[in-house]
Amino acid sequence: MYTKIFKDGLSRRRFLETAASAAALAGINTRVLAADKVIKIGFLAPLTGPVAAWGKPGLDGCQIWAEQVNAAGGIKLADGDYMVEFVGYDNEYDPAKARTGATKLIREEDVKFVMMLGGDTWPGAQPVADRTGMLFSTLLPSDLAPDTETLLAPAEVHPIYNVTGVEWLAENKPDLKTAVICAQDDALGLPSVATYLAAFEAAGIEMLEEPLLFDPATTDFAPVVTKLIAKDPQIVCLDTCYSDYVHPIAEQLFQQGYKGQIISCTADFYDQMIDKTSVEFMEGFIFQFPDFDDPALNDEAINFKNPNGFFAEYTKRHPGEWGAVSWEYASIMDLWKDGAEKAGTAEPAAVLAAMKDGGRGLHAFGTADWWGEDLFGIDNALVGNWPVVVIENGKARIKAFKSIPEWYAKHGDLLKKHMAAYGQMWNQRG
Amino acid sequence: MPRAVSHIAGWLGLAVLLIALPHALSFSQQEVLVFLTINVLLVASYRLLTLTGEWSLGHVVIMGVGAYASALYSKQLGIYVPVSIILGALTAVLVAMVLSYPLFRMKGFYFLIGSFAAGEIIRLLWKRFRDPFGGPKGIKKINPMPDLDIGVYSFDFFEPVSYYYFALAVVTLSLWVMWRIERSPVGLTFHAVHWQDKLAQSAGVDVRAYRTRAFMIASGFAGLSGALLAHYIGTINPNSFDVELMVFVLTWAIVGGTATFYGPILGCVVLSILNEVVLRELGFEQMRPFIYGLLLICSVLFLPNGLESVVQHIMRRRTNVQAAKASRAGDSARYNVEERTEP
Amino acid sequence: MVELLAQTCLNALYAASYMSLVAVGLVLIFGVMGVINFAHGELFMLGAYAVVALYADLQLPFLFAVSAGLVFVGVVGLGMERALFRPLRNNPLGGLVASIGFLMILQALAVMGFGVRMEHVPPVTQEVITFSEKVHLAMPRLFVIIAAVILLTALWAFLTKTRFGWALRASAQDPEAAALQGISINQTSRIAMFIGAGLAGVAGALTAPLVSVNPHMGHSVIVTAFIVIIVGGVGSLEGAVVAAVAYSLVHTFVTTFYDGVIADIVGLSLMLLVLIVKPTGLFGTADRA
Repeated sequence: MYTKIFKDGLSRRRFLETAASAAALAGINTRVLAADKVIKIGFLAPLTGPVAAWGKPGLDGCQIWAEQVNAAGGIKLADGDYMVEFVGYDNEYDPAKARTGATKLIREEDVKFVMMLGGDTWPGAQPVADRTGMLFSTLLPSDLAPDTETLLAPAEVHPIYNVTGVEWLAENKPDLKTAVICAQDDALGLPSVATYLAAFEAAGIEMLEEPLLFDPATTDFAPVVTKLIAKDPQIVCLDTCYSDYVHPIAEQLFQQGYKGQIISCTADFYDQMIDKTSVEFMEGFIFQFPDFDDPALNDEAINFKNPNGFFAEYTKRHPGEWGAVSWEYASIMDLWKDGAEKAGTAEPAAVLAAMKDGGRGLHAFGTADWWGEDLFGIDNALVGNWPVVVIENGKARIKAFKSIPEWYAKHGDLLKKHMAAYGQMWNQRG
Repeated sequence: MPRAVSHIAGWLGLAVLLIALPHALSFSQQEVLVFLTINVLLVASYRLLTLTGEWSLGHVVIMGVGAYASALYSKQLGIYVPVSIILGALTAVLVAMVLSYPLFRMKGFYFLIGSFAAGEIIRLLWKRFRDPFGGPKGIKKINPMPDLDIGVYSFDFFEPVSYYYFALAVVTLSLWVMWRIERSPVGLTFHAVHWQDKLAQSAGVDVRAYRTRAFMIASGFAGLSGALLAHYIGTINPNSFDVELMVFVLTWAIVGGTATFYGPILGCVVLSILNEVVLRELGFEQMRPFIYGLLLICSVLFLPNGLESVVQHIMRRRTNVQAAKASRAGDSARYNVEERTEP
Repeated sequence: MVELLAQTCLNALYAASYMSLVAVGLVLIFGVMGVINFAHGELFMLGAYAVVALYADLQLPFLFAVSAGLVFVGVVGLGMERALFRPLRNNPLGGLVASIGFLMILQALAVMGFGVRMEHVPPVTQEVITFSEKVHLAMPRLFVIIAAVILLTALWAFLTKTRFGWALRASAQDPEAAALQGISINQTSRIAMFIGAGLAGVAGALTAPLVSVNPHMGHSVIVTAFIVIIVGGVGSLEGAVVAAVAYSLVHTFVTTFYDGVIADIVGLSLMLLVLIVKPTGLFGTADRA
């Protein structure tokens, strides 16, 4: 048992290392030679507090991205090569601190691009973005509105891609006809509920109950699950629950004897879920976020640079921390780098124009369209193919890349109907 | 009248300092300054409530009531922003009045937890009723203060410096009003209610009515600070007013000390600058909660009477030196009497 | 429908068990020392991380990890008593702020040592008792219920049958009178803090395989615990247990038949109602604080 701590435990439980990396974060520019020209990129996300899991792993991923890019010569602009440096600001998921952070990053640190988690914090930073014309990115496209001209949602169009999982499910398991859904009652859960409702309706799957909403502070999921499976559904949909909820819900489903299909937006750390339930129970679990060692990602259509190498490096440095957030910010940086190199400059307006040039962009999972007018009032979300991931024999595998625009062309009205019912259209928000 | 002169000179100096201050700061520090000014009002209003001996955990939610009310009045009803700010504060007074009926059946620890529960219920209502409160995402695009040109200075209220001057004026006026209230017979009764509960009662003071009055006045100023905040950042949501901010207000007040008017303000200013400026500049971005927690513990252990006790100590020494000089000049009697009435 | 009711009762029983442990500890600390321990939720979290370190990482037996969690968190409680609450004995607000500072430190330590992500605790057993097709009780949940019953019975025996227990109850009822009787406040405070913290720690340790273990898990526990001790009456240990059962029943049933957010509102309203009707709580008598 001691071998385990020394091999796994000590490297993972890294009291000293964390302290060292906190210090290194402050002095990250030591790695960039003073003589090099440097472009600074702002990272304005929660790094402490309860929402830190949506920010900090992304910053870790970006550090790896920066090292890889810098080692390969940096960003090649018209007036020479630039090294990349990330400047973090902890906004604690608070709009007022996001505003202060945006001001600091833009007006004092002179960053050329700011990546955010978005959500509650975007409206705080928005006035600063409007005044300075700075280019921002968000992980949550529900921040988009007609007046957010310099805000892009280039990584994931949450929750629209969830339709691909349901579509694949309906095609491959056509005998499953009834479903229930549960979600936390917040900004991430509600639009996702609307999307799943539209996708189920499009696939001819009947909802047995109204969606079951629970408070984000819930810790014991037994009552939620008891209610969820009371009517014997064939499909249980876990919506866009955070992993803090997905795990205990799956465990409760297992313990309360549920044996049907499960579909979810995310399944971060699914190996732990298998450990808590069983390989058989988790077989066929459908979700939307692949491991980046998946061979299907080596396909030529994939634009994420060196996914297997990135995954290996990330899991080496931060064992057991891999999740969707780990790669998404880095994938945004890929897009930004292409835009900047195409424009020959890092100036926000020029990069934005280059990124949106031709209405198409190189999304992580393949070339995609700038889209969103219908739902967000502005075409600033990058939408294309999205992977459907299924757990087979204890390992997540990409089963298909399905096109979101194709689904939307057929069933767009359903989506708009359900989004409107949940007050999620851009003109209903705020 | 050398004393009056030095008094006026002191206040003038402070005024000049506060007006010049933003121009000496960086952009992000100016932003911090705006939020700090608003928080000063919040924590000073909190002290007014604690004068009667009750410690509330719902004060920040009351601040939120002012913020939500003012935001909704200006956004939904199209009310002119400065007016809606005042209406927001009045709404907070009204809500406090309603809450006071159940809450002032309790005292001490029960009041503390009761006020917390009442606040959480209000917060859950904001979350639950998407119309008109916007649900968990809250309200966005709140009307800003309309720009204003007064000839000598043109206010663009997006700019932190302009909003700082506006907030500074409102907060100064509010602090002056609170100071007058505390010095009035009503305020002195607040003190009596705290220290001599039973005695005040037997002297015919309706203790509960005075507690309610203090609660309503404090809530009004808290609501005002919330409205100021809402029209500056332009977005509010239920989590902006959660127990975490309440904990900060509580610690500002206690670390600063609540025996004097300036104690909580001092606590708020010192702790906020440490947390938002010093620790970030030192590169402890992710270590801040740890260091902040350590600072809290050290301050209550080693400064049990708050930061104000340090100031009092310095002032007393200065006064003693002056008094010694004054007595040598043979003019001590009147002087000492005046000085001793200071708390 | 009967099955649904039965399953809901089992769910409530489990929730009541761990919540009783947490709430009784909080009451004990408040009763004896008069300090509101805001860090109580973080002591719960610490117990859970003890299981992460000992059981999940070092692969020691679960029962050992839970016992070690109890002792470890109890010792942390002793440390808090000595370093924070004793110097601040005449300053209850100072004690409150110190416990807030301490909770920030504990959270930050958990983040530094284990990361912001939730931790994985492998299941102790996957056995499930099946009463009928739709009524199940997983063994790990049964463990929590049994452990809570044993620990609370032991505590009751300790408080009523031993000299320390008498002293503890005496100073919980009236610290000054107890001091006059020659009962050492330092000693009763130590015992109360060790037991109170240990109970929170053991609750966290027992439930670690069943909940999401993360540095901020203490927050929702402390809120519920406050509600429970208010409803039960702040000075009353029996009240805390009864209120934990009552609150869990109401919350679980409302969650199952309406939804979780409504359940929270109902829980808080219930507490306000109790406070309005009987401001000292259901079992509270003395007017403290």
